[in-house]
Amino acid sequence: MASDIEETVKSIVVDKLGVDEADVASDASFTNDLGADSLDTVELIMEFEKEFDLTIPDEEAEEIATVGDAVGYLEEKA
Amino acid sequence: MDGYDLLDGKTGVIFGALNEDSIAWSLAQACHREGADFVLSNAPVARRLGSLDELADETDSPIIWADATDDEELAELFEEVKDEYGSIDFIVHSIGMGVNVRKDVPYEDLNYNWYEQTLDVSAVSLHRIVNHALDTEAINDGGSILAMSYIGAERIFSKYSEMGDAKALLESIVRSFGYRLGERDIRINAISQSPTKTTAGSGIEGFDAMYEFAERVAPLGNASADSCADYAVTLLSDLTRMVTMQTLYHDGGFASMGISDEIVEAMEDSFAEEEES
Repeated sequence: MASDIEETVKSIVVDKLGVDEADVASDASFTNDLGADSLDTVELIMEFEKEFDLTIPDEEAEEIATVGDAVGYLEEKA
Repeated sequence: MDGYDLLDGKTGVIFGALNEDSIAWSLAQACHREGADFVLSNAPVARRLGSLDELADETDSPIIWADATDDEELAELFEEVKDEYGSIDFIVHSIGMGVNVRKDVPYEDLNYNWYEQTLDVSAVSLHRIVNHALDTEAINDGGSILAMSYIGAERIFSKYSEMGDAKALLESIVRSFGYRLGERDIRINAISQSPTKTTAGSGIEGFDAMYEFAERVAPLGNASADSCADYAVTLLSDLTRMVTMQTLYHDGGFASMGISDEIVEAMEDSFAEEEES
């Protein structure tokens, strides 16, 4: 059963990147699999910050490359 | 290059500098050289993407982060600008982004949410900025407003796609607002600039070919961001008080050209190769 955080992350990714939910797998890379460019990745991070009401420092944001990375990070911090 | 003090004592806001490739970056340097004081602004997302802090240091300018598609943030920005300068003499809009273009979505099958975002960011934002500058009484009579455009607004450059629509709207807003700003002697113009290797430009598929084509067609070659900035400061200065509602080409002569010898010869070579193969 997917966590609430996972559901929210997936819906943000679907909305921002215009991809099908089915493609938003845990191991999907934002840039390699989901077609995100540099602006998208920054916008995703900022959307996560807004949605989960936290600040993600640049050096930690750089480590978030896949959907699973984002979910893991947010489950820990949010 | 030494300045001419063309903007001595003038104050303004420059929207859209991201990094040193940005046209707005060159523009801010030129405005600083000519003696202006100004606020730099870009969307909060640029804080993580660009290097605006460096430009702010170099030109001794404050930064106000604001989303130019957000009315509240723009209203706040102009209130802060008033706190800083009292009122301002110029505004530069150098903002553009084509979401479908970035994602290679073909024009025939646009994602309309993204299309609206493209128009909002690239064109309607000019309307919002002028609206809030007037509403907050931030801009002086006799001020000058400048937006950046491209000839794709009026002719088809196939890969420019939705951005052609966005720039057409931008140029139309320049005319529509120009009429209404006339009673306060405020002028507003668009510069139709050569293709320029910026972060936004590089997001366009086929950009390099468009750039090289224009380079070979324009008698003076492509105009650089720095030369655009030199032209722009004249439009912000008191030397151009009667120029308004115009789309002004700054493109090395490209807009008046059809074909050049260089392109004819390149095409002949390419046809000869096709026949041989």
